[in-house]
Amino acid sequence: MVQKPGEQKSGDMVQGTLEMLILKTLALEPMHGYGVALRIEQVSQGVFRVNPGSLLPALARMERAGHVKSEWRSTENNRRAKYYLLTPRGRKALKDETNAWDRQTAAISRILEA
Amino acid sequence: MGLIGNIRAGMRALLGRARVEREMDEELRGFLDASSEDKRRAGMTPEDAAYAARVEMGSANAVKHRIRSAGWEMAIENLWQDLRYSVRMLAKSPVFTLVAVLSLALGIGANTAIFSLMNVVMLRTLPVKDPGQLVLFGNGRAAGSTSSLPNQSWQLFSYPFYRSFSQKSQVFSGVTAIDSIEFATHGALAGEGHEMLHASLVSGTYFPVLGVNPWRGRLLTEADDQTPGSGAVAVASYSWWQRHGSDPAAVGKTIHIEGTDYTIAGIAPPGFFGISVGELPDLWIPLSMEKEISPGWNGLSDKWFQSLYVVARLKPGVTVEQASANTNLVFQQFLRSEYLGPSPAQKDLADVAHAQIELNPAARGLSRLRRQFTLPLEILITIASLVLLIACANLANLLLARGAARSREFGLRMAIGASRSRVVRQLLTESFVLALLGAALGVAASWRAGHLLLTMAISSPEPAGMNVSPDLRVLAFTLSLTILTALLFGVTPALRAAQLDLTASLRQGRGIASPQSRISLARGLIVAQIALSLVLLAAASLFLRSLVNLTRVDTGFNKQNVLVLNLDEYSAGLPLDARLVNLQQQIEDRVQAVPGVEAASFSMFTFNQGEWSDDVTVQGVPRTPENSQDVLHNVVGKGFFSTMSLPILAGRGFNATDKIDSPKVAVINQTMAQRFFPDSSPIGHRFGFGDDPSHSGDIEIVGVVKNAKYVTLQESSEAAAYFPYAQRVQYFGNFEVRSSSDATLMIPAVRRAIAEVNPNIPVNSVSTLSEQVDESTANQRLIARLSAFFGLLAAFLVCIGIYGLLSYAVARRTSEIGVRMALGAKRSNVLWLILREILVLVAIGVVIGVPVALEGNHLVVKLLYGLSPADPGSLLAAVAMLVAIALLAGYLPARKASLVEPTVALRCE
Repeated sequence: MVQKPGEQKSGDMVQGTLEMLILKTLALEPMHGYGVALRIEQVSQGVFRVNPGSLLPALARMERAGHVKSEWRSTENNRRAKYYLLTPRGRKALKDETNAWDRQTAAISRILEA
Repeated sequence: MGLIGNIRAGMRALLGRARVEREMDEELRGFLDASSEDKRRAGMTPEDAAYAARVEMGSANAVKHRIRSAGWEMAIENLWQDLRYSVRMLAKSPVFTLVAVLSLALGIGANTAIFSLMNVVMLRTLPVKDPGQLVLFGNGRAAGSTSSLPNQSWQLFSYPFYRSFSQKSQVFSGVTAIDSIEFATHGALAGEGHEMLHASLVSGTYFPVLGVNPWRGRLLTEADDQTPGSGAVAVASYSWWQRHGSDPAAVGKTIHIEGTDYTIAGIAPPGFFGISVGELPDLWIPLSMEKEISPGWNGLSDKWFQSLYVVARLKPGVTVEQASANTNLVFQQFLRSEYLGPSPAQKDLADVAHAQIELNPAARGLSRLRRQFTLPLEILITIASLVLLIACANLANLLLARGAARSREFGLRMAIGASRSRVVRQLLTESFVLALLGAALGVAASWRAGHLLLTMAISSPEPAGMNVSPDLRVLAFTLSLTILTALLFGVTPALRAAQLDLTASLRQGRGIASPQSRISLARGLIVAQIALSLVLLAAASLFLRSLVNLTRVDTGFNKQNVLVLNLDEYSAGLPLDARLVNLQQQIEDRVQAVPGVEAASFSMFTFNQGEWSDDVTVQGVPRTPENSQDVLHNVVGKGFFSTMSLPILAGRGFNATDKIDSPKVAVINQTMAQRFFPDSSPIGHRFGFGDDPSHSGDIEIVGVVKNAKYVTLQESSEAAAYFPYAQRVQYFGNFEVRSSSDATLMIPAVRRAIAEVNPNIPVNSVSTLSEQVDESTANQRLIARLSAFFGLLAAFLVCIGIYGLLSYAVARRTSEIGVRMALGAKRSNVLWLILREILVLVAIGVVIGVPVALEGNHLVVKLLYGLSPADPGSLLAAVAMLVAIALLAGYLPARKASLVEPTVALRCE
């Protein structure tokens, strides 16, 4: 799903990570699909590059789960694009997933450093 | 978007497919555009940028597919696709589909029909309020009246007991009493003719306790059931009301029954039949009218006249145990105060030490049918489910063969990207389509078959008020059965088919993972089918032989050419005295004078109509346990013995000298003669009813008649005594006529003769004595017929299975057979080679099936007559039949194998 260029094989992330990253990205402002992909790539400084084959189905899943909703808007250069917005339920999911993630990474670090 | 939103989005995707597709395309294009624009800005040429963006995305169709998969509607679309494909595939092989659907329809239909009967007879609760709160006092097996105080669980109760009990008991919210006999009587609605009526006498609490609401008018209340003779009202059943044209003005009309006018107070709701499954009264009448409905009965004030069932409704929260404790406390007090007196003798106390009331759940009502048919129905549903199992094994085999034939198709589908699970799902869908088609057909057939079974099983008396059309429970049963069936026969072949060696199957067009294991699986299925059908055939031949034994039983009487008329003498309006006897003798004489009639007589019983029995004390013969047993009694006319062709062996039969004022006489049968007078002639000895040794012995034995069967064909030789009706005046229902030729041709002449004597006596029904004998074995007949039918069906399915397996095996071994023949094998060798295989399978099946059959047959021992459940003849017959079937089914493929031309066979590989 999420690939790290150069280290193709080591990039298998924990299940659901992509959705957490998308939630976090959309928490700032509504965005269209490409905007989400671009933002994740930029913020991760190119470590994660999300391809549309993973991103768009993930967004569709999240829409069905009620975490995001979508609407058609004009982009900055006057094209029509499907924008995704975080719903209150999505906001809560982000909080829950972030907490869970923090717990897990802390635990993993403790194990690795022990 | 919650659940509702999800569903709405799914529906939108399903219905507005074009719009959703357009939006998806637009989003993807937007993504590509934005991406390539970015790359251009980063310095790529427009062509490179567009290309790179497309590479990143991959196949647009794949992405769209994954987006679509996010919603549930995808599953529906797949299902729809699978369904359409299944129907196409099934339509392509109509013979296979026909065989599959028909065998499933038979299997599922038979199970549904039998289950719907079980549902009505055994499972369904009464259509009343909270049936779970109802309890019955006793087990409801007795009917009639008794004057004894049983020193055990009581079954029948007196009206005074019901009255006093309902006042004293604290655990019930209501108590009701119902006469244990449904009275057959005649009546006429104001302005209409006489009709036969079934009346149920009930206490005023009956409808309130059951919690039933009127359809029209009102139902009976306590006020209707007060002083004797005061409640001349009736509640009619819905079906009686329908028979009378659903007359809106029926309520308030009067109906004249045997001298009393009853006002119709109301109509009971549709579907309500009371508490006895299989009986449907036309009228419910208050018990206060007992004497009017049944003139010799005096139960309203007589505590010794015990003829009622008592049903009570538990108060909420009261358990059956608590209720039972309280009930028996009140019962003991009643016994002491009413029957034993204030200071009972020690002996009297001991006589009722074990007297008690057993509370039984009455949610499903009581039913003669349930007692009679529970075991047969359980046996039949077992048989039917075994047939269904065989059909499943058969179908699994057919599907395996089909899977082998279709392996190229599966290979192709997987090669172009279908997952294994998708192929399995597709094949399972096909199985479900087959099963559902079979079930639909089966349910449609069982609709009819349920009624047929009911009338086949219970031909007389006609069951009433029973609705065997499938209800929700039956449909749920059938649906689960269908799903189970589809899984049973569909899963293994589907999994097998998906285990393909792709390249091999595509290259050869028919290779499958391991043909050897397919064959051994198929063989296993055939062995299972053979074993199961052996069990069925063995059971069928047991039941058939048992039925043959029953039909060969010597009834003692000659059942040929005898009419049995059911008539209602009461309508003649004569009292119980010499005038009635006169009328009866006139009818007998007049009918006997009809040309072709040899003899005619009234009687209390003919055969299989119940019994009146009592113990007797013979003067001068000390009582022993043996001669204290009950003797069956019958009251007959003087022509009875010649009508039944029962020869008088000693002394005389009845004649005109036996009058009401002449000494009382009796004719006894051989068994009674032997029991009381093993060494001497009984003629001239005297006896009386009951066990009092100082009995007057008012009845003189004047003759001995040949033994006969009285209540059932299975009974051993019973002692019996006959009394002339001239000395025991009563109304009769039975009138028998023996003719010299076909009895049914005499019916019009006999009816005319009766009408000539008295036109007011209606003839309710006419049957023949041999029909009565046949009806007494209705149960055995039903089981024998159905088990034979199912046995043959099973055998036929096995036939198909064996034929299919061998055809496949022969096709695979064509080249091997060619080599054998080229090397000098004869045609007979080849024939044997193939047939040997099937004989081995049959042998294994028999070895497995015989112990199962022996074990299973023990369960049906109660229904067998003159046979041991391990009857070797029946088992041998079943085995022989199976071998014959197997050889028959195997012969065609084997012959085909033996006709293989070696040159052709060797060239074809």
